[in-house]
Amino acid sequence: MVKEYCRPAAGKDSTRPCDLRPPTVLRKTVFYLIDHIATSPALQPWTDVYDFVFDRLRSVRQDMIIQRVSGTDCVAILERTVRFLIYASYRLCGEPLRIYNPVINDTHLQESMSWLLDCYKGGQHPNQDQFQALSLLYNLGSGRATQHTMELPERIRSSSAVQLALSVSRAFMERNPVRLLRLARRLDFLQSCALHRHLQACRTDLLLLYSHGHNCKNCRFPVHNLAHLLALDTQLTIQLCQAHGVNIQGDFVVFSKSSFTEPEVGKLQCPVFHELVERKQHGLTIDNILHGHD
Amino acid sequence: MAHITINQYLQQVYEAIDNHDGSFCAELLSFKHPHVANPRLQLSSPEERCQQVLEVPYDEMVAAHLRAFQSHKEENWALPVMFSVTLDLRIFANNAEQQLLKRGKGKQGDMLEKAAEQLMSCFRVCASDNRAGIDDSKKWGMLFLINQLFKIYFKINKLHLCKPLIRAIDSSNLKDDYSMAQRVTYKYYVGRKAMFDSDYKPAEEYLSFSFQHCYRSSQRNKRMILIYLLPVKMLLGHMPTHQLLRKYDLMQFADVTKAVSEGNLLLLNEALAKHETFFIRCGIFLILEKLKIITYRNLFKKVYQLLKTHQLPLDAFLVALKMMQLDDVDIDEVQCILANLICEGHIKGYISHQHQKLVVSKANPFPLLSSSS
Repeated sequence: MVKEYCRPAAGKDSTRPCDLRPPTVLRKTVFYLIDHIATSPALQPWTDVYDFVFDRLRSVRQDMIIQRVSGTDCVAILERTVRFLIYASYRLCGEPLRIYNPVINDTHLQESMSWLLDCYKGGQHPNQDQFQALSLLYNLGSGRATQHTMELPERIRSSSAVQLALSVSRAFMERNPVRLLRLARRLDFLQSCALHRHLQACRTDLLLLYSHGHNCKNCRFPVHNLAHLLALDTQLTIQLCQAHGVNIQGDFVVFSKSSFTEPEVGKLQCPVFHELVERKQHGLTIDNILHGHD
Repeated sequence: MAHITINQYLQQVYEAIDNHDGSFCAELLSFKHPHVANPRLQLSSPEERCQQVLEVPYDEMVAAHLRAFQSHKEENWALPVMFSVTLDLRIFANNAEQQLLKRGKGKQGDMLEKAAEQLMSCFRVCASDNRAGIDDSKKWGMLFLINQLFKIYFKINKLHLCKPLIRAIDSSNLKDDYSMAQRVTYKYYVGRKAMFDSDYKPAEEYLSFSFQHCYRSSQRNKRMILIYLLPVKMLLGHMPTHQLLRKYDLMQFADVTKAVSEGNLLLLNEALAKHETFFIRCGIFLILEKLKIITYRNLFKKVYQLLKTHQLPLDAFLVALKMMQLDDVDIDEVQCILANLICEGHIKGYISHQHQKLVVSKANPFPLLSSSS
């Protein structure tokens, strides 16, 4: 049963039992939205699909809040919501603002994520380690998210997903983008989607550090080495360097701290640099991604 | 005092109010005072007798108190009463929450958040008291309330709520005239906040102030301040002495200090792992991890001192890192770490990729930590 989201307003009774869906029905609604709407190849373009699913998932959460739903149904629903919003944040990256608003998507994602992490505090949940890792990667560099991860029970914290996420976070804290991008290659597709919004800043930082570290007129740094460090192809590396005022001479980069500049806002199109994430989607259907099947 | 009757007690409260004796009234309303142990005051239905003087639900108590409080226009003698009641409120909320959680009821932070709401309404009354002259102003109550609110916000992890309170004090002309005890507490929390926001210089200032002016005999408080002041000082290049760590029972920091000054990454990782629970509970684990950068600097400085040259092969640094059992590090990462140190001003020099060398400045290639950044 699919219901449109409707803003609560004065004088409107949103608690009428006949309008509310019980948890099991809500769960079915979410599965229907994923299996028949979000993944349907017949429905195009996907931006419209996103708009629809985003709104109907929001209404599911509204029904859950009114009834104070908790437990496994709640976890199953929130996990799929979080996956959907993370996937959308990557897939719709770079779309015009009227179609996809990253700030609104982020607000809903943070809300659903912290609700989900709250749910995990009671009982055992098989996917908890995955989502703790996603939360840390998505909120890379946030003291709060890192502190939360550190305080997790040993069993969760020592899981391979959380350990990898923690390594990425540590590389970020130590300001070691070379290591960060190297670790990023080991993430799975959804984890990469969660990290994706930080990649641009991470590459910029790498160029900034190298512009200071290799700041000497006679020094040359091979473009293909740099491309490897940035996890990009040579063409894109050159494009990235030019956007940052880093000079290229033939096959070499000449770093100089005085010529480095922050790129103009909107000059670099993030989707152009998606390859690192993109290649991991290979063989995965949207259905697999949203339900968490490998 | 401990065995008076309910009537005597109520009479005392009445007289205290009548005489504008704030501190005595505060005592009579404080749950820390011995009269709470008096069995003659523990009635099963005291409402009729004293109407909300004792044992009322604390939020109502403060609400009732607040109404009484607001009626005192252009007077502030009752501030000690408010201090006492609000302090109890916070302690009660804390206890209530722990008991609820023990029984598996309620969400973490709920009770404390409710207490914070009540404290905020007191705060608004105090902060908006613009009519009274300085001596009679309720603004003198602001800092006490802010400190209580800080305690709650730090506990429930909502540091962003501190910001408007800090702004209120910053713009206040009384800020340097509050009692020293209140200022010490205030600076302690503001310092911790600055530390979490990675503003280390101001954090050091606030926490140092707090440490220096903290009452000499409050060892426990001084220790609490040090837990945050030490990491900040270390990040800025000042290492604590062994003696200080021993005096305040903070030997957990001993190995960390040793590791950082020796450039011993291996020991640092071990020390962090060994006292992990303590550091995480205090919320300083992440800050201590940042000491790695300084440890790299000290390790690399040793490499430089051993090789006694200004052109250092990158391989030498790789060997040093491998010695510290960082097995998955390669030459690319060495370059990145060096680039980082150069960028932060910890090393003066540049990396030559063609020659695979770090070329350091002839004059002062490793500037003092306390002078950089």
